[in-house]
Amino acid sequence: MDILIVEDARDQRMILSVVLKKQGHRVFEASDGYEALNVLESHPDIRIVISDWMMPNMDGIELCEAIRNSDFGYYIYFMLLTGNSDREAVVEGINRGADDFINKPVDFAELGARLNAGIRIIELKAALEHKIHTIEKDLESAAETQARLLSEPAKIQSVDFNWYFQPSRILGGDMFGYQALDGETLGFYQLDVAGHGIPSALFSFSLNNTLREDGSGSLVKASFSEPPFYRIKEPNEVLVSLNEQFQAKPESMLYFTIAYGVINSRTGSVTLSQAGHPSSLWLKSGSKSVEKIACGGVPIGMMPDMTYKNVTIALQPGDRLFLYSDGVTECENDIGEMFGEDRLVASLEDAFDHTLEAMISRVEQDITNWTGADVFEDDVTYLVLEWQP
Amino acid sequence: MPFDSKNDAGHTIVSIDETRLDASLSEPLRIYLFDQIDNGSDNLVIDLSQVRFMDSSGLGALVAGLKKMGGAGSMKLASAQPAVMDLFSLTSMDKLFTILPTVTEAIKEK
Repeated sequence: MDILIVEDARDQRMILSVVLKKQGHRVFEASDGYEALNVLESHPDIRIVISDWMMPNMDGIELCEAIRNSDFGYYIYFMLLTGNSDREAVVEGINRGADDFINKPVDFAELGARLNAGIRIIELKAALEHKIHTIEKDLESAAETQARLLSEPAKIQSVDFNWYFQPSRILGGDMFGYQALDGETLGFYQLDVAGHGIPSALFSFSLNNTLREDGSGSLVKASFSEPPFYRIKEPNEVLVSLNEQFQAKPESMLYFTIAYGVINSRTGSVTLSQAGHPSSLWLKSGSKSVEKIACGGVPIGMMPDMTYKNVTIALQPGDRLFLYSDGVTECENDIGEMFGEDRLVASLEDAFDHTLEAMISRVEQDITNWTGADVFEDDVTYLVLEWQP
Repeated sequence: MPFDSKNDAGHTIVSIDETRLDASLSEPLRIYLFDQIDNGSDNLVIDLSQVRFMDSSGLGALVAGLKKMGGAGSMKLASAQPAVMDLFSLTSMDKLFTILPTVTEAIKEK
């Protein structure tokens, strides 16, 4: 172990140094706190500091505080030498960051035992850091997998799709998708699994799969052996099927909110059904107005046998639909006030003349300006489509 | 513990003494509700008068209690503030719970 001895009395320092070297440690020396900080900076392998309390320039306690306040990126175990057996002084030292004390004159057997205790802690910390690092790597690769599941921005038939997705921590429970269901019908959705982290993310991965149509019949499209061989399911039917399939257990309560819709790319007719999801917004290009598409519904998985409503609207060329998760409107500023639906609508109204991409960055900018940070408490996701026949 | 319960006319009134019922409180609330149910409370009234904000995980804890009861007994929600009522309406909670303006009305409601 690399150990730094900080002691203004040269003879004392040398005795300690000799003893520790004999115990097999590599020893560095400093005569006050300032010199100690310099040695620590140039020798990143030092993990233990044994420091005298009373020293000129910077004393032991000040050195300890300076170490605790600086960013070494690893833990430095700090032992104070004290002739001061005063209990209050010991309490003060621990409160200000010291890990252990050794009384002067130093009993070398005791010093050896206390050093071993310190080394055990340092090794435990290193093992823990290694494990955390491994878990973080795993989380990162899961996040990369999640990113690969997301649909690329695309124009399918005459509908443009684009989006913004920012998971709260490394992994999020938000998901979205869009695909052609036949030559003139597209399905799209945006969902939000309650909670964050690994369980929510894994659940959102499997939902992404469930909602995908690969041509052989699925939750979103029934297939038959007789003509016309398939039937595209109504959005409310899709939600009922999801609700049958994914009932949450009371102990875990993994459930989700979703907006699911189908659009006829020839006529612009959209049918939408929602389960506890924030109302999707219809951006009308003609009147430059924003209309809420309200249809409530119990979130999927909460209770069996729920029914859901369909709402059908007729898009005009250039109209857009904006689907979003509650992370958008529940973003808080520094005094805890939420961004809210009104500000979101105002932001969208200001962006009517923007391209789809520009509108998406405009909303992002307004949210990050509001929160004052680009790390969010909840997943922030929105999916926008534009019908341009 | 920011939860309290008292018995009144055959009902267990659970009050939540926090302004935010979010992810940090949802698990303790779920456990508290499960304990009440395990200890034989089968007519619960949740007093939400202190709660100014509830998110989806808070909602999850309430529904978890309802699922745990499995149709035996009742769970009513009382005194929800406007933002919480908005969440209830967005998520159609009136289909799952009896929602009443006050605890007194919740106790009277059959």
